[in-house]
Amino acid sequence: MVIIETQKLSKEYSTRFSKQTVHALNDFTFTVNKGEIFGLLGPNGAGKTTLIKILLAITFPTRGSAKIFGTEVKNHKWKKKVGYLPENHRFPNYLTGEQVLSYYGLLSGHGNDAALKKKIDEYLETMGLSQWKRTKIKKYSKGMMQKLGLAQSMLSDPELIFLDEPTDGVDPIGRKEIRDILTNLRSKGTTIFLNSHLLSEVEMICDRVAILNKGDLIKEGSVDDLTRQENIFEIHCADTISLDLKQKILNIDGNAGIGEKEVHTEKGIKAVNKMIDLLRSNNIVIKGVSQRSSTLEELFINVIKQDNLPMGGGL
Amino acid sequence: MLTIIKNTFREALAKKIFIGYYIFYAIVVLFMLFLVNLDTVEGVISLADTKQTVHMVEKGFLDLSWALILFFSLISTSSFIPSMLEKGTIDLLISKPVSRMTIILSKYLGAVLFMFLSMIFLLGSIWLILSAKSGYWDFGFLITIPLITLAFAVMYGIVVFIGLTTQSTIISILVNLFLIFVLCPILSVREGIIFTFVKNSGVQFVFNFFYWILPKPGEIKDIAVSLLMDKKINFWATSVNMEASDFTASWMSLITSLLFCIVLLSYSIFYFSKKDY
Repeated sequence: MVIIETQKLSKEYSTRFSKQTVHALNDFTFTVNKGEIFGLLGPNGAGKTTLIKILLAITFPTRGSAKIFGTEVKNHKWKKKVGYLPENHRFPNYLTGEQVLSYYGLLSGHGNDAALKKKIDEYLETMGLSQWKRTKIKKYSKGMMQKLGLAQSMLSDPELIFLDEPTDGVDPIGRKEIRDILTNLRSKGTTIFLNSHLLSEVEMICDRVAILNKGDLIKEGSVDDLTRQENIFEIHCADTISLDLKQKILNIDGNAGIGEKEVHTEKGIKAVNKMIDLLRSNNIVIKGVSQRSSTLEELFINVIKQDNLPMGGGL
Repeated sequence: MLTIIKNTFREALAKKIFIGYYIFYAIVVLFMLFLVNLDTVEGVISLADTKQTVHMVEKGFLDLSWALILFFSLISTSSFIPSMLEKGTIDLLISKPVSRMTIILSKYLGAVLFMFLSMIFLLGSIWLILSAKSGYWDFGFLITIPLITLAFAVMYGIVVFIGLTTQSTIISILVNLFLIFVLCPILSVREGIIFTFVKNSGVQFVFNFFYWILPKPGEIKDIAVSLLMDKKINFWATSVNMEASDFTASWMSLITSLLFCIVLLSYSIFYFSKKDY
């Protein structure tokens, strides 16, 4: 079931003094399915926050359409089913943690009743903020504010949550806790739209990712598909490869990397099979063959670099 | 809507400026207490005609403090809109299932309601002191509470508009300062004073044009004073009798001020509902 759907979504800004047009988003088309953790990646100024803001009707698109739960985003009624944690959020600092959750809970459509109070206590407990619930939030640390923000976004049991840099300023233990909370939410069927600079985190929890650069969608797919490198293999041997054998392997792939007991090739599965035949015929015991996958960070840097090359430079 | 109004109250009470605001009111109330005591003891103001004396004190108080109270209240509340528009605050607010119109109207009503309660405290205290000391319970004075609140509501429309378009507290304070203490008083006396010197019909038209479209907080006070003194109020236009030094207020001052506020507030809502944040 599709939860978020955009069609050729574009956003252009005109600068106030010069007549320059900034293209924040160009014909952006994508979908997010129910129960997914979808990661949005991109360098600063790529259009990630603009996309989230358009989806939440905080900013209006120049062209194209965006639907959430099958409804055009201009209609605000669907927002009852959505939670949002903005980047660098600012809660009213004269409120306590408990009052912040109560305020945003009521705005999200909760009744001012015992159920809301119970839920606030539960989320404060989950976030480890119970003992601070009656403290004014101006005394909270950055990490505590982030956890409070996350609690706020989850308070109305939303079906879809937008998180813009949710682990910003949170220590490693806190980050792990947040990751666990998010995976737990996914298991309950909540769809999560995550915008994060921490690629290792995105890789750990996201099912699918999209990479944006200068307003363009340059890559989209499951994390596994994107990071898997089809033609790169490593053959691990139990015995040492002789010089003579190394030369024969180079005859199969002139660019192969050959170590004492390993062979690295980017020529694909057929070359791997030839190499295995050769090694086995020379009584070399094969310990294993692995297909190499890059990290999301490597992939991200590569695609952004390639996209930033002048036209044709990367070809 | 109630949630945002309630939060606007919390915001108001959390601001240090409101401590100063209430200290100012308390000083005004104490001053009135002292003044009435002094008069009674020394007999400076005759108690023979209690009703007239009370009316004179009330009129004097309104003449002296109306514009100041209005301006001070606007200063205290003018940051509500710019602070709401701060990055990280406004995006979260708009992401909630509340229409943009409701957000603005709630902020506006929160400030107006806060002003109303503050005026109940200030003008109600003054009324209690005067009534208790004089023995004459002039309930007519209490009409100044809704009237000054209405004058505030009109001027707060300007604060909302400037806050939304410029996100600046300072600009809205300066514009209100200029309107309350300079432009509106000048426009009010255009017929009695200015037009005796300025005979050019084109210039007179410009003065009249701005007089009719701009709010008239000072003339709303004149309505309050006229009601207090049981004086006649015209419907269409104010009138001045220079020989008798008499001034007659008009209901049209209040009506055009409210219309100005409705138009400005409607435009502000339209602007806010189309703006990217």
